[in-house]
Amino acid sequence: MVLLQRPHILLLLIDTHQFLQCWIAFGSANEEGQQQEEFSEELLVKPLPDHKLLAHFHFQSSAPPSTSNGCHHHLFPKAISQLVQKFRVKEMELSFTQGRWNYESWGGFDPISSSNAKPPGVELWAVFDVPQHHIDASWKNLTHTLSGLFCASINFLESTATYSTPEWSFPPASGNVRYGTFPCEAVCTENLTPWLRLLPCRDKAGIALLLDRPSLYRGFYHSQRLHLTSTESSSEGIDSGIILEQTLTVVLQPNSERAIEVHASEKHVQPSWSLSSIFGKQVSGRCVLAKSSSVYLLLDRGLVAELKFPNKENGKSAANGLTSENFWSNPSFELSVNPDRIFLEESSSHSKSLSILYMFQVEKYSESEPFDIGLMWKVPVAWLCQQTPLHASRFLMGSGNERGAIAISLKSTQFTEGFMSANSKDGSCELRVDVFQVVPWYVKVYFHSLRVFVDQQPRAVSDFIEKIHVSPSKDKMSPGVMEVVLKLPCRVNTAALTIEFDKGFLRIDEYPPDANQGFDIPSAIISFPNFHASMVFLEDDSLNRSPLLSKFQDKCPVMSYTEVLLVPLTTPDFSMPYNVSTIKCTVFALYFGSLLNVLQRRVAEEERFLKAKAAKKTGRLPLLLSKLSAKLRGSGINQD
Amino acid sequence: METFINPKSLFHLLLLPCLLLYSSIAYNSSPVEAAMHTNNWAVLVCTSRFWFNYRHMANTLSLYRTVKRLGIPDERIILMLADDMACNTRNKYPAQVFNNENHRLNLYGDNVEVDYRGYEVTVENFLRVLTGRHETAVPRSKRLLSDEGSHILLYMTGHGGDEFLKFQDSEELQSHDLADAVKQMKEKHRFKELLIMVDTCQAATLFNQFQSPGVLAIGSSMKGENSYSHHLDSDVGVSVVDRFTYYTLAFFERLNIYDNASLSSLFSSYNPSLLMSTAYYRKDLYKRRLEEVPVTNFFGSVMETIHTDAAYKALSRRNSGRFEDEMSLDQSVHHIERRMLIKVNDGDEIHDINPEGEEGACKCPWSTFRNKFQKAENVDSLVNYGLVAMIPLLVISTWLVQ
Repeated sequence: MVLLQRPHILLLLIDTHQFLQCWIAFGSANEEGQQQEEFSEELLVKPLPDHKLLAHFHFQSSAPPSTSNGCHHHLFPKAISQLVQKFRVKEMELSFTQGRWNYESWGGFDPISSSNAKPPGVELWAVFDVPQHHIDASWKNLTHTLSGLFCASINFLESTATYSTPEWSFPPASGNVRYGTFPCEAVCTENLTPWLRLLPCRDKAGIALLLDRPSLYRGFYHSQRLHLTSTESSSEGIDSGIILEQTLTVVLQPNSERAIEVHASEKHVQPSWSLSSIFGKQVSGRCVLAKSSSVYLLLDRGLVAELKFPNKENGKSAANGLTSENFWSNPSFELSVNPDRIFLEESSSHSKSLSILYMFQVEKYSESEPFDIGLMWKVPVAWLCQQTPLHASRFLMGSGNERGAIAISLKSTQFTEGFMSANSKDGSCELRVDVFQVVPWYVKVYFHSLRVFVDQQPRAVSDFIEKIHVSPSKDKMSPGVMEVVLKLPCRVNTAALTIEFDKGFLRIDEYPPDANQGFDIPSAIISFPNFHASMVFLEDDSLNRSPLLSKFQDKCPVMSYTEVLLVPLTTPDFSMPYNVSTIKCTVFALYFGSLLNVLQRRVAEEERFLKAKAAKKTGRLPLLLSKLSAKLRGSGINQD
Repeated sequence: METFINPKSLFHLLLLPCLLLYSSIAYNSSPVEAAMHTNNWAVLVCTSRFWFNYRHMANTLSLYRTVKRLGIPDERIILMLADDMACNTRNKYPAQVFNNENHRLNLYGDNVEVDYRGYEVTVENFLRVLTGRHETAVPRSKRLLSDEGSHILLYMTGHGGDEFLKFQDSEELQSHDLADAVKQMKEKHRFKELLIMVDTCQAATLFNQFQSPGVLAIGSSMKGENSYSHHLDSDVGVSVVDRFTYYTLAFFERLNIYDNASLSSLFSSYNPSLLMSTAYYRKDLYKRRLEEVPVTNFFGSVMETIHTDAAYKALSRRNSGRFEDEMSLDQSVHHIERRMLIKVNDGDEIHDINPEGEEGACKCPWSTFRNKFQKAENVDSLVNYGLVAMIPLLVISTWLVQ
């Protein structure tokens, strides 16, 4: 009986399974009409010239503009959607960064460096979709909410003295943008954890599993960024589709122990690495909620040119057909895992060689067979990353506690030389540079003292500055903002802007507890609007496009941040007020006390009074005793 | 002299216990005390900035870990850290904080939630958290949303002195400020019971101004004493934990959420010779007997389960069972009694700064009376004691009449 029944049950099971599958398929097809919430996780690894490794995590969640499901979300973090709805945020970017991006050796002309290299500390900008007079209130509430959400002191950006309103030089040029930075904010685990909580799988599964805190924070640079854009749906103004893009960019040193092992002669051999050696963890399968989950290995344009692939010329056909073995069995390096696909960059306008992208699908791997790529270098290679058109740096001039000057210097790089030679046919070649600088109010900048040096010669400001917008600082009210558009000749070697300032005085309660450390001037943003850092990779199916690669295709202008400046201000001796008031009180007491004493004392009268008192005093105690005894005796008589 | 009881004195004798009984019942029915224990909150404050104060952050994080382990969730913990030690550039172990040189336990973990940090840790913000006077924009995670049934643990560590605690080397929290804040909290029904634990030099002086009922305070050292660090970690390069906190943790590491260790066992676990200071606790404002209060009352989140036959009957039941506690409070509020953990041999050294000394002899009969009073199981024995107390009065009055 039992044996007979079993096949039936099995059949029934298969039947229900099939039915379920159909139902699921139907359900998904049904929801295809209205877009679904999507999540994708990607990791890009890129070797850097100075023996370091760049790891760039990219998580993207999107919520469609839908009215049907109201405030409910499947994958999209509710905290973010509430924030967008409440404060009517059109676009927002928040970044936490520790360390400084090294533009010279890590490059400045690729999508990662121009959109993910951020100034140290916290940077926040937001575009609001509210009337002009409500923006400041929205900004204040937004900073407080974010500070609660990300365990950071972003709420210090609420006061008008810390944020600014860029007019046109800041990328999302619009009047409703607010921009604030807080350079001295520490970035640590407590900021990363809430950021990871926004992911559907948190750091429990998928690529985020790699994010081991100690190995992340041991790095040279880490920047955690959250970018959200909400697009108004055409039908209804209230509901909006939101795209949340979370990136984490870290620059790490691959296992330093092996680097020591390397002999002195092989100094130029790049360190070999694997994901498990850098992060101490492996990816055991994808996050099941993710639509796509992939790891990329990017070989830079310069590196590819150096490696000299044997079939570089006909590389396109090889990449399309996936026939050539040459890409991963290169004589100079070896990959531990065979890539699933290889992408070649489409011809770029600024460079002759093309970068190569290896793609690895995480879907194939599981708990029993975790994913871990490694790269073994066989021969020494040295290359250079593509740099920004001009290398920007900023420094302080002058000495003393009274005044000083800020200088922003721009130096030509190897890229400019190439660009210049390419454009040398027409003589009037110009390089546009936008400078955006915010200065706190206690650094009182004299904008009339702006001077321009081109090739170390002082030049007339009007010759090179095309457009300038200045909003002077107000004491304790608003910071000074300077936006400049420079037009420099292409063959410029160096250019410098200097501007003088006086150091202001703060009230004693306005000094931070570590005032002796100095005060930070936030980074200046140098952008090159005529240059776009984009990487277009040839993909055969445009439908299943990865968010990271499509992000790379965006034509964002090349941008770089300068260093944060530390201005020492005159700090008072903080115990001085107490000393002063104590001394003052003592002096007053002594002076007035003795004065009053002298004025009011009448010596003769006092002496007489004292004498009388002395006379009285002799008889007091016996008097009391006698009174008492008299009373006792009296009472005794009465009782009797 | 023959005893002669006249009817007048007999009337007096009967009246007194009646009055006593009446007053205790009246006190019992006051609405403020009707609140049940609803939840547990913890406010953990590290007030010191700069790298060499690593140990203060480690202290706070150790307590944070302990209360989290014993069941207080993150949303009910307000953690204030004045500086960033974990990702400090001087830290050899990035994103890790240790409180022991064996480095077995990373206090920073992956799930730490810091509510106030860096420049935000100010006296103003601290008092705002306690009193709940925030700006409207301040998010919920930064507020102490306690109610009249909450038990709150307030832990503070840093550098302090006689009646003050330094915040970030630039501000001071005076004992008056703290007492005022606690008073406000009481008036706003923000807590039922409050345990204040302070690990600073001269911590005991910070408690001098408290007046609000339901406050229990323990400090690491008496007036004139310093609190010392426990040991130095030569890898980290600084001292990693303070003595008082170290021994507090040693006590808690043995416990889990279901343990019934009492507060008095915690308080008596401090050994002055190991601490190199005298742990002091002030309990005159706290009505319950410390032997009966488990440590999880403050350091954990253990709710008392009351079995009821019908719904919504719990409150009235509890009130009737509270009778004895209220009476002892009645006495202890008026007669300030402070106890401390002093070993007999080093007792006389500290005796002159001892507040007990001022009260002197008058305290002793009261305390014995109180002890007997507490032991009184029922109304009968109460009446008996009342009778005994009346005897001297009776004797005097009869003598006077004659």
